[in-house]
Amino acid sequence: MPRYGIAIDTTKCIGCHACRVACQNQNDLPVSEEFNRIVERERGVFPSFSKEFIPLQCNHCKDAPCERVCPTGATYTTAEGVVLVNPKTCVGCKYCIEACPYKMRTLDHARGIVVKCRLCIDMVREGGTPACVSTCPTQVRIFGDLDDPRSEISRFVAEHRAQPLRADLNTGPKIYYKRS
Amino acid sequence: MPESAWGWLIITYLFLAGAGAGAYISAVACDLLAPDWSRSLARAGSLASGPLVAIGTACLVLDLEAGLWEPWRQIYLVGNLSSMISWGVLVLSAFIPVAFLYAAALNEITFVGRIAKKYLFLLEIVGSVLAVATAGYTGVLIAVINGVPFWNTPLMPVLFMASAMSTGLAVAMIGAAIIDIRTIKTLSNFALGHVIFLAVEVLVLGLLIFMSLTRSVEAAASAMILISGPLSPYFWGLVVVMGILVPFVLSIVEYYEYGEMPKYLVVGADLLVLVGGMSLRALIIYSGQPPQIV
Repeated sequence: MPRYGIAIDTTKCIGCHACRVACQNQNDLPVSEEFNRIVERERGVFPSFSKEFIPLQCNHCKDAPCERVCPTGATYTTAEGVVLVNPKTCVGCKYCIEACPYKMRTLDHARGIVVKCRLCIDMVREGGTPACVSTCPTQVRIFGDLDDPRSEISRFVAEHRAQPLRADLNTGPKIYYKRS
Repeated sequence: MPESAWGWLIITYLFLAGAGAGAYISAVACDLLAPDWSRSLARAGSLASGPLVAIGTACLVLDLEAGLWEPWRQIYLVGNLSSMISWGVLVLSAFIPVAFLYAAALNEITFVGRIAKKYLFLLEIVGSVLAVATAGYTGVLIAVINGVPFWNTPLMPVLFMASAMSTGLAVAMIGAAIIDIRTIKTLSNFALGHVIFLAVEVLVLGLLIFMSLTRSVEAAASAMILISGPLSPYFWGLVVVMGILVPFVLSIVEYYEYGEMPKYLVVGADLLVLVGGMSLRALIIYSGQPPQIV
């Protein structure tokens, strides 16, 4: 069974928000809800400085705090390592939103449940890639199987020593970043 | 400051569950230690505890989304014993009936009360354990969250427990004054309780703030929001001065003046403790900061 993840090269990101738009469209999300967002950071001091765009999304953690605190067991991890929410058993208590260190979960007020990035798992199972990956004009994101040493993502992570955000929080995130 | 996913309903629950559990423990302590002259306080505490925790629990349910519109979904709430909410549901389901039964037994309300009175001591022991679990749980609920570093400390349940004891005692004392205003003199004996609980509370609160300042960047940011940031007027005004210092001094005076203090000051000190307890919960929830991830 594959262990899906995404590698993100922030040095290539131009901050166009195409991934966000594709994600909103793919998941039919209103403006108030987001699975995907871009944070802007200034690095360095004038005159040696630059702007960094950091695309953020659910890290599909191996030891997901959201799954641990979910009282109904609505949050679960698939065999491919994708963290999903069962819309039939979620009660909307929002404990997972508080527990997520990355604050990547959002409340769907219309359905009264918590929703999040699904890594477009339905498309992936049919052989495609997540919408944010395929739509990126500068190929910032690489999607693939982290357990396959020959996959593009594994080679990219190894070559650039890409790291997850805040690995010290010990949740085992599966989104890797190359930031310089 | 980013908005917390939890708002006033959860804050009210944290406060009411603590105050209700504290009132239960106050009632049991009075009934076991001084049944002859603290009768009205024990009665007031027992009568208040069940309804307070029940209203608090109703706030929890009202805060649900799909679980509120489709209440049958709530059956799933005990589905994951690694979640504190599942434990909380079990604790509250056990404590609320016991608290109502204890109120019936101690006040001999209807035939249920007369039957339950035979098992009064058992209700007091089992109920006290459940009351400690209820009050402690409100703190553990947020202490296990590593998504908010400021909350993620074992000091949190201790702080909530101390606050639950002082607010619970305040509820019982106000109730005793309502039931029988003549008992206001004997209330001076319990002012010592306020002195002890408020001292513990201010100590733990001080520790929480000081340790947060060095524990992590995010915990320090939360502590700074409270002591010098946008929430500082509420923190110093409502929690520290009105909620702790003023009732602390009033309680010392009350204890030494023994029954000579004006009635409105006695009840006023208790009301201030309640204001402080509610404000403490609100400020802790609203000052929570997520980890800095980029």
